[in-house]
Amino acid sequence: MRLVRVFPFLLLLLSGSTPAAPVEFKPSDRLVLIGGTLVEREQRYGYWETMLADRYPGLKVRNLGWSGDNVTGEARRAFDLGDPNIGRKRLVDLALAEKPTVILICYGANEAFEGQAGLENFKKGYEKLLDELAPAKARMILLSPAPLEDKGRPLPDPSLQNQRLAIYRDAIKQIAEARKLTFADLFQVLGEGKAPLKDLTDNGLHFTGAGYKETASAFAAALGFTDGAFSDGMEKARQAIVAKNQLYFYKWRPQNETYLTGFRKHEQGRNAKEVAEYDPLVAELESQIEKLLKK
Amino acid sequence: MYRNAIILLAGLVLPSLAFAQANAKVPDPDPELERKTFILPEGFEVNLYAADPLLAKPIQMNFDPQGRLWVASSETYPQIKPGQKANDKVIILEDTDGDGKADKTTVFADGLLIPTGIEPGDGGAYVANSTELVHLSASKPGGKADRSRVVLSGFGTEDTHHILHTFRWGPEGNLYFNQSIYIHSHIETPHGVKHLNGGGIWRFRPESMEMDVFVRGFVNTWGHHFDRWGQSLISDGAYGEGVNHGVPGAYFVTAVGGTRLMKGLNPGSPKHCGLEIVSGRHLPDDWQGNVIMNDFRGHRVCRFKIGEDGSTFTSREMTEVIKSNHPAFRPIDVKMGPDGAIYIADWYNPIIQHGEVDFRDDRRDHTHGRIWRVTAKRRQLVKKPDLVGAKTPELLEQLKAPEDWTRQNAKRVLKERGAKEVLPALETWVKGLDANDANYEHNLLEALWVYQSFDTAEPKLLNTLLNAKDYHARAAAVRALSLWHARVPNAIELLSVRATDDSPRVRMEAVRALAATNSPAAVAPAFASMDKPVDRTMDYALWLTARDLAPVWMPKFQAGEDVFGGNVKGLTFALEAVGTKDVAKPLRAMLESKKLPKDRESAVWALLARVGGPKDLVFVLNQGVFAIDTDAHRNTVMAALEDNARRNKIVLKESDGANFEKLWGSYPLSSLEAADAAVRLIGLWKAEKFRAVLASRAKEGIRSGFEGLALWGDPASRKLLEDLADPKQTVAIQRHAVIALASLDIVTAASRAATLLETAKPTDDHSEVYQTFLSQKGGSEALAKALVGKKLNTDVAKLGLKAVRSSVQDAKPLSDALTKAGGLTAARSDYSPAEIKAYVEEVLTKGDAARGELVYRRKEATCLACHAIAGAGGQVGPDMTSIGASAQVDYLVESILIPNKAVKEGYHALKIGTKDEKVVVGIKTREADGKIYLRTSEDKEIAIAEKDIEDKSQSRSLMPDGLADQLTRQELVDLVRFMSEMGKQGPYAPNKARFIRRWQVLEPSKENVFQLQRASAAKTVENPEAFVWTSTYTKVSGEFPLDTLPKLVVWTGSEPFGIVRAQLDVTTGGKVKLKIDGATGLALWVGNAPVEVKNETVLDLKPGLQTLTFSVNLTSRKEGFRVELEDVAGSPARVNIVTGK
Repeated sequence: MRLVRVFPFLLLLLSGSTPAAPVEFKPSDRLVLIGGTLVEREQRYGYWETMLADRYPGLKVRNLGWSGDNVTGEARRAFDLGDPNIGRKRLVDLALAEKPTVILICYGANEAFEGQAGLENFKKGYEKLLDELAPAKARMILLSPAPLEDKGRPLPDPSLQNQRLAIYRDAIKQIAEARKLTFADLFQVLGEGKAPLKDLTDNGLHFTGAGYKETASAFAAALGFTDGAFSDGMEKARQAIVAKNQLYFYKWRPQNETYLTGFRKHEQGRNAKEVAEYDPLVAELESQIEKLLKK
Repeated sequence: MYRNAIILLAGLVLPSLAFAQANAKVPDPDPELERKTFILPEGFEVNLYAADPLLAKPIQMNFDPQGRLWVASSETYPQIKPGQKANDKVIILEDTDGDGKADKTTVFADGLLIPTGIEPGDGGAYVANSTELVHLSASKPGGKADRSRVVLSGFGTEDTHHILHTFRWGPEGNLYFNQSIYIHSHIETPHGVKHLNGGGIWRFRPESMEMDVFVRGFVNTWGHHFDRWGQSLISDGAYGEGVNHGVPGAYFVTAVGGTRLMKGLNPGSPKHCGLEIVSGRHLPDDWQGNVIMNDFRGHRVCRFKIGEDGSTFTSREMTEVIKSNHPAFRPIDVKMGPDGAIYIADWYNPIIQHGEVDFRDDRRDHTHGRIWRVTAKRRQLVKKPDLVGAKTPELLEQLKAPEDWTRQNAKRVLKERGAKEVLPALETWVKGLDANDANYEHNLLEALWVYQSFDTAEPKLLNTLLNAKDYHARAAAVRALSLWHARVPNAIELLSVRATDDSPRVRMEAVRALAATNSPAAVAPAFASMDKPVDRTMDYALWLTARDLAPVWMPKFQAGEDVFGGNVKGLTFALEAVGTKDVAKPLRAMLESKKLPKDRESAVWALLARVGGPKDLVFVLNQGVFAIDTDAHRNTVMAALEDNARRNKIVLKESDGANFEKLWGSYPLSSLEAADAAVRLIGLWKAEKFRAVLASRAKEGIRSGFEGLALWGDPASRKLLEDLADPKQTVAIQRHAVIALASLDIVTAASRAATLLETAKPTDDHSEVYQTFLSQKGGSEALAKALVGKKLNTDVAKLGLKAVRSSVQDAKPLSDALTKAGGLTAARSDYSPAEIKAYVEEVLTKGDAARGELVYRRKEATCLACHAIAGAGGQVGPDMTSIGASAQVDYLVESILIPNKAVKEGYHALKIGTKDEKVVVGIKTREADGKIYLRTSEDKEIAIAEKDIEDKSQSRSLMPDGLADQLTRQELVDLVRFMSEMGKQGPYAPNKARFIRRWQVLEPSKENVFQLQRASAAKTVENPEAFVWTSTYTKVSGEFPLDTLPKLVVWTGSEPFGIVRAQLDVTTGGKVKLKIDGATGLALWVGNAPVEVKNETVLDLKPGLQTLTFSVNLTSRKEGFRVELEDVAGSPARVNIVTGK
């Protein structure tokens, strides 16, 4: 049984109203994902990643999403609150260290709360981020935020925020066009807040596991694949992918960073070597995933 | 069944027992052996409720309405290992047969990573799981959780003993949770992204996802609960101020953005984890409302009596619930249970340090844990109420229960039944309440809280409670209104009435609620509250409100609008609170109108001096400075003016209309500080006509003259300074000149300094010379170079090394130069593990704590200068009250020999280089308003503007190297033995008695003796400012030993005596008792009034800071003395002893 729901705008896409050249991946690609909660939580559910990995067995995905983040890398500043550039620097350093061939960026959902007033800063910040990621010489995919779902009161009515998100989506699209980068319009595929969404989230804002599963097709459509979806046959691989993501998370965002690499490293820095021990564990799972998907 | 469990356990822990024999630090884990070490107050007993292997490493626990105990536990803590599967658990413990022991254990969830918070509710439980707050639930009732919903994500994990923790339902149905100092969280909600950098307490409503920060700061706050009337009480596991009162929006210690901090109620207290409030029929009347917190370092479960004190509370430590000397007893959470007993989670671990001890240290326990249950003997337990099975009207009746546990859990069940079912019944219940019931208003409040839990505004009930007779009820209603203000049409009007309520608690809540409205209309009513008395906490609440509302009132004020409704007192208060920007024009207009009340005028002058431009400063100089009422105010205005001129490079000239003749012509400024500021301004403004004033001052040896010359900095000033630095001059003049010259020409200054030091005697105090070079970029190197080839007196060189060490800068070239010039041998900086081990052995076998205390107290050891005991002493380093109960001996030895190896959190120094070539090192206390605040090794707090900072880097520990060099091996061993006993049961245990521990004494200095010769000893109380007072501290026992009292002999042959004084901070006036051991030879003044000394001396104190001065006749008195503060029955007095440095 296919569990794929066909979203109204996905139909539109299928009918060819929005021509989008599909993103092409190679099995040898290394894809780095960057963004806020939408990206971060994908790593714990893995439906989108599994859908991609199934199409391109061997594709390596590194999820660097961080809840609450924005184009300045604000959530990654930790102690260095006085340095407005440090969060982005950390993000870029991490991303470049992965030697990515493709980078997918999804920002704007958080900045959009500021509406028109925050738009200029957002655009400037986005450009800066792209400039600093340029040394990777990777193909860039700019993914729009998703629209909010109306879950009824007492949660807020999302219509105002959806209007603001549309403005931010347009800005991202312009940046992509000016730089000739791929733009993936998840916002449009999911109905721009005009067509009601159902049961994708439990707070209006963030997809649940079921939400990621359902929107794997929408994510695929935003990338230009008309036939992408998650199917039950991929479940085993998905579980392995989630386990791999967990190990990778322990590596790049270990607990106790203050002591491992931060300003108290003279106390526990000797234990920082442990984080490198995750690399072979990740590699081992990745070869299992590849086998599972090639079957 | 526990017997079996223990036998089973014995098999499991055999390797650990074997290890226990090899290392005395790991104890036998038999719970009964542990229980036998517990000492409880008469009439109480303790039993084991649950233990390993049923649970391991409990962290937080909370009961559900069925009376089941949910425990979050982690074997993974402190750090997951690569390849290890995170498998931490939430377990549910149940006592099904009511015998006080858990007989059923369910693993509700596993596969978690260091879950640090747990609160059952909404059909499952909310769990803190690293970066996420998740809601776990089971699809089968009573089953294992098979559903996990991420509720919030983005919590920082920079430190696993600071991560998301301390979950609590508020009485009004919000979920509260905490994070600690190192954590930075950024949380996406449908209302926007919420940020909390550093510590604080979050407030969250799950169904609407509304989220805000309730209070900010703390170091590691693992305890929070609400009293019967909804006031927040908070504990801190790494900061010693005992119980803290959570004024909404307050900034506590370390808060990012806090320029002014709220203090705890027990300054100098040991640190505590967990917080519960006693209530219910099982426990005795005098325990009701007491706070229980755990001194997990000192193996104590502590009890505090809370009293009312104006807008806030007092807190007094009482006899412990449990004390023990068991090295692994680590009480960390405490909760009242459904049966009215006290439940204590024992983390059971000999090692509690997070960062200072290796994550992989073998002594860390990962397998044990206990829940203890304390009951009162011969008192009936409370019958566990059936809440889940009760009909809704029965549940509502439970809101009248005396047990907080029952009322709180009844509200949880009501909430989960939903508004549709509950609200109609609630309305009926409220109507049926007996208005003559003594608890009528509290019953109404419980109803209001149920409405709040459904977020259903209920203006009628709210209005009744806003007008309740009991101020506690009014205060709680105001708090509710602060959350409903947008939905109650006349909210500001209602709050305005309460802002001038008769009760200070209500006024405090009203002022905070007005801030929450974020409306310009709230400003005037908030500050109208100042017509009533403003106590310290109220003053703080007003300060917060002034700042919170600044974005709405400041633009209006700048535009000339009277937003404060003519309330000048409120306006000046608010301007001082906000720090004033672009307000010179309206301030000047106020002064020119000459309508200001006299008592507020100097405050406005000072504000204008701080923020005005050149024309405003001319106005201040000509019209303000000489018209101001007191010298103290004049000093403030001149200091503000000088600071403004220097910061903003404002130069005034006579041609601008400034009356310089009046300022400098004949020294008319009567007060010294203002005059010094004026003299420096001559140099800053290069006022040629008055150059001679500078020169003559400098030649008189007056510091401001030198400073003025340095500020001027032209060749003539430089030449004069060089002349004054010549060896022909007096030592004092040379020193001033060298210091001033350093800012102009570091090389010449260094060469003059080297000459000065070459001829220096050990009695000369040149520490400031070293400080000058050390605090200037390239300074210490220049001085080191100048010292090449010089020969210094050995003791002079030693003093120099001491100054370099206490600056805690890495100034190796200078240390080397001093060592060489003085012919000294270099200090040791490294010790092998074998050497450390040998020390540890000796501490355990040969150390003597009593001798060690004397070493600790020696002036040369300088321990007291930086470390406090029970709050008395320096504040630079950690308080030592419980050091022995928390730190291992090897850690203590290393900390003294190699101070920089492992440093306590919050005690890492920061080195800041400024744009004007200065270097400052200190511990960052906070960051706010674009400034970084540092506490320096001299225990001074200084602020540096971010914009003036060129570079920042982590510096070493502020504890200087080489301290051990001046001790013999035995002295060091004794010292460590003493420290290792601190906080353990025995003579060095924390003591709840309120001794005066910090005293100030008169040293027999020339100045002091001269002053005494001019008048009698009574002069010291009439004009204490004329004397120089030095702080000194009692022994751990509270005794002030007479050998530390400086002997004063005023005339040759006259009777020797000593003078000591202490201060009491009186927040509410009234009678208190001093218990003094023996009146012999003592005379006492309170303020300047003599009081007869008796063994029990009763004083009637007025509010404010009160000074007790004792003169001690050293001929008739040979014994030291202890002075203990005690309450007088029925007295309203609220008094704290002033501690600190």
